[in-house]
Amino acid sequence: MNPVLHIAANELRLMARARVAQLAIALVVMLSAIAALTAISQGRESQEIRSRFQAQADREFDGQPARHPHRMVHYGHFVFRPLPALAGFDPGVDAFTGSTLFLEGHRQNSANFGDVRQSSLLVRFGQLTPAFVIQALGPLVLIFLGFGAIARERDSGLLRLHFTQGVKAGQVVLGKAAALSVVAGLILAPALGALAWLTLVAGAAPLAVLTLAAGYAAYLLVWVLATTSISALAQSSRTALASLVAAWALSAILAPRLATDIAILAAPQPTRLETDIAIQRDLKEIGDSHNPDDPHFNAFRASVLKTYGVARVEDLPVNYRGLIAMEGERLTSSLFERYAERQFADQRRQSGMALALGLVSPTLAVRSLSMAASGTDLEGHRRFLRQAEAYRYAIVQRLNRLQAERLTFSDDSKRNSDPEAGRRVRIDPGAWRQTPDFVYRPASTTEALGAATPGLLLLGGWLALAGGLAWAASRRLERAGA
Amino acid sequence: MSRFAQELRLFLRQRLAVPTLALLALLAAVSVAAGVTEIRRQAETIVRIQPLQAAEEAAVSAWVSRDGDAGNAAYYTFHATWDRPSALAFAALGQRDVAPYVLRVRALALESQIHEGESYNAELALPGRFDWAFVLTFLAPLILIVLLHDLISGEREAGRLQALQAAGGRAGLWTRRAGLRLGLVFVAVAAPFVAGAAVSGAAAAEVLAVLAVASLYLLFWALVCLGVGALGRSSVANGAVLAATWVVLTLVLPALAHIAINSANPVRQGVELTLAQREAVHAGWDKPKDATLTAFFRVHPEWRDTPPVTSGFHWKWYYAFQHLGDLSVADPVRAYRRGLESRDAWTARVGLVLPAVGLQTTLHRMAGTDLAAQLAYQDRIRAFHERLRRFYYPYIFNETPFREGDFAKAPRWEEGD
Repeated sequence: MNPVLHIAANELRLMARARVAQLAIALVVMLSAIAALTAISQGRESQEIRSRFQAQADREFDGQPARHPHRMVHYGHFVFRPLPALAGFDPGVDAFTGSTLFLEGHRQNSANFGDVRQSSLLVRFGQLTPAFVIQALGPLVLIFLGFGAIARERDSGLLRLHFTQGVKAGQVVLGKAAALSVVAGLILAPALGALAWLTLVAGAAPLAVLTLAAGYAAYLLVWVLATTSISALAQSSRTALASLVAAWALSAILAPRLATDIAILAAPQPTRLETDIAIQRDLKEIGDSHNPDDPHFNAFRASVLKTYGVARVEDLPVNYRGLIAMEGERLTSSLFERYAERQFADQRRQSGMALALGLVSPTLAVRSLSMAASGTDLEGHRRFLRQAEAYRYAIVQRLNRLQAERLTFSDDSKRNSDPEAGRRVRIDPGAWRQTPDFVYRPASTTEALGAATPGLLLLGGWLALAGGLAWAASRRLERAGA
Repeated sequence: MSRFAQELRLFLRQRLAVPTLALLALLAAVSVAAGVTEIRRQAETIVRIQPLQAAEEAAVSAWVSRDGDAGNAAYYTFHATWDRPSALAFAALGQRDVAPYVLRVRALALESQIHEGESYNAELALPGRFDWAFVLTFLAPLILIVLLHDLISGEREAGRLQALQAAGGRAGLWTRRAGLRLGLVFVAVAAPFVAGAAVSGAAAAEVLAVLAVASLYLLFWALVCLGVGALGRSSVANGAVLAATWVVLTLVLPALAHIAINSANPVRQGVELTLAQREAVHAGWDKPKDATLTAFFRVHPEWRDTPPVTSGFHWKWYYAFQHLGDLSVADPVRAYRRGLESRDAWTARVGLVLPAVGLQTTLHRMAGTDLAAQLAYQDRIRAFHERLRRFYYPYIFNETPFREGDFAKAPRWEEGD
């Protein structure tokens, strides 16, 4: 029998007999299964609730009575961010961003009712999802089962016996790593089951699923190789255990939080309140609709009059008030967009800085890959915010155009003083029904894979590093054994 | 005392002792520095918004006071509120990174304003902040495990156990040794905290209370280490068992508790109430004005005898249906809040069983950075909003012109609010 296989089989037999190993594997597989079941059912439930709320909001918008179009601009619309199928595997930032947005004229509201503000501080202990179980707990099980793999045999002299029988050190390392890989496979199994379910039943993109599976397999392989190598390199099992647990604590517990603080310190973001005030200030500088002599709006009026070849706004074939509303909305929206893009750029810089710490933590690398491939990274939320803003602008301008085209200037001007005019400015509610509903376009598979690439590259680097370490450990063992 | 000095010399000569303690002290110091910086940044933000806010108010005042329409003043003036961090907030930042600590409101319906969020990077919020509470809750026990897992087994494995038992004789030796290690870990983690508390000006009693809680938590972990060590297994086995215990107590069980608590206490009312409130407010436009005003006068009879609304639009009517919109969702607002409080209460109960959860709950309560503190800030905003409404109502209902000087009379957010 091939010595590598022989060693692997022996190691597995040993693990199968050890009570601690049985317990650890059973525990993590069970946790992984619980995590997968709850994450999938919670994901489905919140998606159901969100689509029910979305349907309610659409229905209520369509069912509004005859009104002045500007009333509808302020009545506004609610949109809900749908949950991607793979959120059942890795919900990512879903709980940390609001999932509903109120859209109205000349205001940009925040996405509200994220779970993080609705939960006790327990939310900060980490959420039990398949992704969390593999990212944080998987490596620890590998460490517990593997730290002694080689160190123990050296302590007991068994290793020397192997060598006298002609087994090469590289074969020992490879055999032990192979046995530990089987454990990694067991840890991964429930998550792979969940992924398969999400692909077949919930329609997750197969390519994204494959990327996730490959990423997590690579991540666990890094820990398999590191554990085996450290077990070979350490002076004793105890040192091996201590250094491996320290490496794990650094990678899975310390680095993510440190990354957060470094990124926020290096690139702080303004508060919402400051941004709101800045937008108002900029808006006033471009054009102040409250100022009757505002140069921007005077020029606007002149250009409108010129286009239609009339001398007074009363003579326009359209309602000038509607045109003003459209122009005002155009101005505020351009500012919203400019500030939002600036904020998104800031956030991207922060996240990039945090990901750079993936150089010291494979956990950060796999986390980034996992959220990106699952479509639950911050980019997914930004995509929602951007599409919601585009939709807000589209429906508000549509309503403003109705005001310009379906109402007369004279009716609109005396709607509060003349009850007849007040009745005429209320337009037929059919217009609300014709307003298109919000349809969220999720990231395409190409986009998701593109976003997952930095994490994938970092993991590739880690895999190469771990492979190098295993090679170095074999060399060292060979020399020591000779 | 000389025995302690002797033990201290012995301990410090161990290979891992000094680096491990130094690492813990360094991490604690970094966490305190990060927390103090963050809290200072938040305090600076609160200072920085004041002139911005004043300038914006002046801009509104400039055009509103021209025709003195009080309805416009109430509609266009945003009033700033803020939640100043407590002196202990640096140690446990809690929810302050995801919940707004500055928020502006105006005299319109409040329910569509009070749930507004802050803009923050969710990817960074996900793992949480590197604050002192984190170092104490998660890292200090690991350091204790490193220092205590081989207390007895290490001596046995070195072949010294019998001699030590014969010479030292009693349990006093192990108490001394364990006490020494626990004491050093406590100092390493507590000293940076005390320094941070001094910088932030925390009261001595608060500092002592935090230190007491911290020492209890560390004592728990020291006892766990000694208990596992007393079973007589090898150092390696002790290390593995203790690390596994740590994972289960600080990661796995809290995460399971989180799932259980959140699914047992759904809080869907948040979205429901905002949807319902919007319907109620906007339906106001289509209801007969008399019906709206009659309903409003039932709550605010003091304005009943003001001039009746005859025109198509009047601010009286507008602000009346704004407020009625808020009142119409009073029940779901209460239910939503009960749901949140129930989640918090269950967490406190879990904290009685799980030391890590108990510690976090206590520290965040003391620091005023938990869910309850967030709700308390909302309560203060509600009270302030009430003052705002009552400030504008006389102008609107008596149709008194609102002039430049009146802006200065508006209620101001005070620290006591």
